Formats: sequence, structure tokens, C-alpha cells
Amino acid sequence: MWVQLEVFLQTLIAGILLGGLYALIGIGMTLILGVMKIINLTHGQLMMVAMYIAFWLFSLFHIDPYVSLLIAPPLLFLLGMFLQKALINPVLRVESILPHNQVILTVGIGMVLQNLATIFFTSDYRSTPVDYATDAWYLSDFWHNAPFELSLSYPWSVSFLLSVLITTALWFFLTKTDTGKSIRATAQDRDAAMLMGVNVGFMRVITFGLGAALVGAAGCLFIPIYYLFPALGSQFTLIAFVITILGGLGSTMGAILGGLILGVFESMTATYVGMGWAPVGRFAIFVAALVFLPGGVASLLKRKAVSK
Amino acid sequence: MRRTAALLLALLLVSAWSGLAFAKDIVLAVPLPLTGAQAKFGEIIKKSYEIAQEEINAKGGVKGDKLVLNFEDSQGKPEIARSIVEKLIDVDKQPVVFAEYTSACAKAVAAVAEERKTPYLVVASAADEITQQNYKYVFRLNPSNAYYASGLLSFMANVVKPQTIAILYESSDFGTSGAEEMAKSAEKAGMKVLLKEKYEKGAVDFKPILSKVKAANPDVIYMVSYVMDAALLMRQIKELRIDARLFAGGAAGFAIPEFVDNAKDAAEFVVTATLWSPQVPFPGAKEYFEKYKGKYGSEPSYHGALAYSSLYVIADALSRSKSMKQDDIRDALKATDMMTAFGPAKFQDKDGYQNQNFMETLVLQVIGAKHQTIWPEKYASAKYVFPIPKWRDRK
Repeated sequence: MWVQLEVFLQTLIAGILLGGLYALIGIGMTLILGVMKIINLTHGQLMMVAMYIAFWLFSLFHIDPYVSLLIAPPLLFLLGMFLQKALINPVLRVESILPHNQVILTVGIGMVLQNLATIFFTSDYRSTPVDYATDAWYLSDFWHNAPFELSLSYPWSVSFLLSVLITTALWFFLTKTDTGKSIRATAQDRDAAMLMGVNVGFMRVITFGLGAALVGAAGCLFIPIYYLFPALGSQFTLIAFVITILGGLGSTMGAILGGLILGVFESMTATYVGMGWAPVGRFAIFVAALVFLPGGVASLLKRKAVSK
Repeated sequence: MRRTAALLLALLLVSAWSGLAFAKDIVLAVPLPLTGAQAKFGEIIKKSYEIAQEEINAKGGVKGDKLVLNFEDSQGKPEIARSIVEKLIDVDKQPVVFAEYTSACAKAVAAVAEERKTPYLVVASAADEITQQNYKYVFRLNPSNAYYASGLLSFMANVVKPQTIAILYESSDFGTSGAEEMAKSAEKAGMKVLLKEKYEKGAVDFKPILSKVKAANPDVIYMVSYVMDAALLMRQIKELRIDARLFAGGAAGFAIPEFVDNAKDAAEFVVTATLWSPQVPFPGAKEYFEKYKGKYGSEPSYHGALAYSSLYVIADALSRSKSMKQDDIRDALKATDMMTAFGPAKFQDKDGYQNQNFMETLVLQVIGAKHQTIWPEKYASAKYVFPIPKWRDRK
């Protein structure tokens, strides 16, 4: 009985912590989707770039990956702005047979990034073995006669809290600042925003930079608990894509919930079905969201707000 | 004067003739994957052959003849390996064949060699069936897949005496076959397999599956993983404080130094099966390791040690062989009973295998952040640590 409860609670904790990190990956993609109306399929590769920055800062200068949070995301912001300005914007202007060749372009950018990483850094696996990697808080330390044991990993918790902090900061930025409001206006109605004097082109550049910076931050939060290799990107692009669909295209709140749902769902699948089934579960939830909840979690939120 | 001149001439002729005989090289073509996905291992094997070749020739070669190796690239493809070997037996009349790396290539080469009654010494290919097909001319120095964990099993039977085991493995061919073999052997040894779970390579979070393992409370947790998953697994086991009596890895990711670098203190006391380590007390093992490291700047894996030793086995058989005929060399190989840097070499017919070298595989344990050989005890470089301390009591 206690044992089963312990397994359940430990799985739930793991799922929520993982979900919080997934949410941060998803938000960046959702933001870009909302403003630009394209799926950024190079999202995971941008995260890989940020992870390499954090890795080299750690191995060359012994800078803690969490401190890299102040270095890698700004660099990624610049990289994102550059990609948008130099590569994606020109393609947006070209009329073509394929309506979504910007999406194809992002796939191409991702491939280039991945191959560059392979050439420069080889395909070896890397990691930042920090000292606190296996530290954790234990329930029995606080409650001596606890009938069961739970643990809360130190780096996982720090990553989770920082992810929440970054998300809150983003929310403030989008709702309270002029630039943030302009971004949301562009997302809601591009033409109206343009008529109101919002520099739509510039907002696009900012948004892509912001999306890249967010996933860059996620990379810095991931590297202490995970590892790194050049082909890691596509895995996280897929996760971000699933979260975006699950959360409702373009909704920030939806992406947060989508990330949490996916994290908990994956953990529960691993415990109660089998860990080999995790990729199947991810795909199943993706299809289920498309079929049964086309608007994602965001549509549920909206419906509730309307009925109130 | 004339007589002296004639004598001198005769002497000169004799010495020239014998000198000619002296300079007769034994040229052997060696098929190896030097490009393609397996090139890394092909490279290690090639370099190790070269070290052995140099040493053997420096000591006077085979009955005074120098060994010359010509490396041929098979790209790790069975059909190319096959055609290389067909050519070198049919056209070049080479009386003995060795090398190749992957099991698929070794199988192809073995079939050709058997058909043409030419002895073939396998290097490092692990598939069991290579020496299970009643081939008379195929020999293998390394233990096959099924015996890979035999050392670990004997360590468990003699020291740990576990009742239950949980097996976690990567969902690849390598992981699946390793887990299957272990489950079979564990059941044979009277252990109960509580849990056998596969995972997707590259998973971020093993905690859900590990909390299930914790609830099952097995005596042994056996894992078949590559290095990064191995490190993540041990880190999260430490974090969840799963106190199994033994944490065991099935070679691969657990047996290389990178595992300790990444898992850090969570790697401490983890044991793993392996075929060879530079600490084994076999003559030449340490010297080979140092020489390789000094010459090429990297550490050789067990594949290298096998290649290095196998050339010695070939040289030994050639020097004992009555002639350079295929059947004589085969008989000489069959009579091999020598010590190599990899361990004792003796080709036996046993348990459904033919011409297979049986040996005890090693067990390593991470002690003081370094891999130490702990089993079999006669080869141990350090005393094993068992029982291992509980996570709570560490540091």
C-alpha cells in the first residue's frame, strides 16, 4: 500500500518536474507560431546550440551551467534575430508554389546547425558533470517516521523553479510592457497592429529572437541533468511540436499546461505501462489532441472564460 | 689460391642462398573495416596488429621469416569481406586467414574459409553461431556472446548470492540480446527475474521506471546501456537511494572511463562484465597497453588486445606447423596451447562449440573512481568491495 503510494507520488513528482522543463521548450515555439504563423522546426537544434555554449563555458572556464543562463540565452537571442532577418524574412517575401516554404527553411537551418556541430565538436557525447548532480532532498530527512521515502532532486528542482521564474518574467513582459503588447497585438491581428503603428517586421525579428532565447534557457536548464550530442535537437523539436499542438497553437498558457500534461503523461506511461512505450505515448497524445481537442488546452480555458 | 677462390665462391653462394631464404617474407592480407561505421574498431585492430607484427619481426619473425601484413578495407560489409577472402585464398594462395570485425562479416569469411579448407582465426566477433556450425577450419580466441557475462555470474554465485534480479536494457539489438542472455542465465542460477524493462535510448528521466524497481526491491540491478544512459541511470539510482545489493552493468557503457567521469560518485562500487583490462596479470598485457597508448595517444579497447594476441597465436601456429600447407597450419592451430596478453589460448570442442577458446571473463568494479579488476580472484588487481554501503551512509 505505502509502496504503491510511494511509486505513484515519486512518478508524479518526476512528471511535474519534467513537465515544467518541457513547458519552457514549448513556450518558445508557441510564441514564434503565434506571431509568425509558422512552425519553427529548428527549435530543438537551437537548444542544442545553447547547450554547446553552456558546455564549453563549463569545460573551458568552469562556469556553472546555471550561470550560463545569463550568457547563452542572450547569444541565442542574437542568433534568432539574425536567422529571422537574414534568412526567414527574405523567404517570407517570395511568392512560391509551396505556401509554407519558411517551415521547410527552418528544417534546413536545423540540419545545417546539426551538421556544423558534428564537424566542429564531433559526434561524441558530452556532459557537464557538476558536483551537485546527484544531490537531493529526502522526505525522511524532514519527517523522521515517514512510512515511505520520497526524493526531490536538487538540480531538477532548481531547473524547474528557474523555468517557472523565466515563464513568469515572460508573462510580465508580454502583458505589461509596450513591446510585449505589440508582440501580442501582432499575434492577434497583424494588419490591425500594422494600422495601429506597430512595426510588425521588427516585432517578428524580436519574437524569433525571444523564442530562441527561451529554448536556449531551456538548454542551460537541461544540461546539468542530461547530456549533449549534435543530433539531440530533433528529439526536442518533436517534443516542442507536441506541446504546441496540445496547448493550442499560439497560446502561452496552453503551452505551459501542455508541457505539464506531457511530462506527467510520459512519466505515468513509463511507470504503469513500460518505459519502452514512452515514444508511442507521446505520439498517441499528439494524435488524440488533434482529433478530440483541435484547439488544444487553450480552447478549454477560453470556453471556461466565456461561460463565466 | 684457386682452391681458396672456389671455396670462397661456394661459401658466397651458400650464404647468398641462405640469405635469400632468410629474406622470404610471409605476406598475409588482412580484411578489416577501415572505412564506414565500424572504422573506429577496425583502426584499433589494425594498430594492434602492427604493434604485434613489429615485435614478432624484431624477435626474428616466424622461423626466421618476416611477417608482412597487407590491410584490405572491407568497409564492414559482408559481401566485400567475402570477395577479399575469396581472392586471397584462390589467387594469392594464402594458407591462413584472420581478422574482420563484425559478426556478419566474420560469418561470411568463415563460410568461405571452411569451403576452401583454409584455417581462419576470428578476431573479436561475438555471435555464438560462428563456432557452432561444425566448421573444422574456423577458430575463435574471444569468448562468444553467451559467455560474456560468465565472470559476472560466477561473481554473483560465489559472493553476492542473490535471490532476485531486475534487468533494465536499451531497446536495441545489443541491449535486447544482452538482457535475454542474462535473464536466461539468472533463471538457470536460481534467481527470480522480478522486472525486465526496456527503455528508449536517449531518455531524459529514468525515475519513473526506477521507482518501480525500488518498489520491487531486487537484490541485483543489471543494466545493458551505452555510456550516457549508464551514467544517467546510476545518477538517478543514487538520487532515489535504491539500495540493491549489487549494481551490475553488461560491459559496453559501464566498462569505459567515461562512465566514471559522467556518473562521478554515483559510479562507485558498480560492477561490470568485460573481456579484458590492462590490469590482467597476463604477460605482455600491460606492456601492450602502454605501447599502444604511447604510440597512438589513446587507450585500446579489448578488441585491440585480442588483435594483438591473435597475431601471436598465428605466428605461433605457423612456427609449429610442419609446412605452409593449409591442413598443417590447421593442425598446428588446433594444438595451440599458449599464453597471450589476452589470456590463455586453447581451442576446444565443447558445449556445441568447435575450436572455441574458453576463458573466464573478467569483472571490473569502480573503486576509488577507477575501474579495478576484481574477478576471477586470481586475476584481481584489487579486492572486491561487498557488501556495498547503503547510499544513505556514503560520505
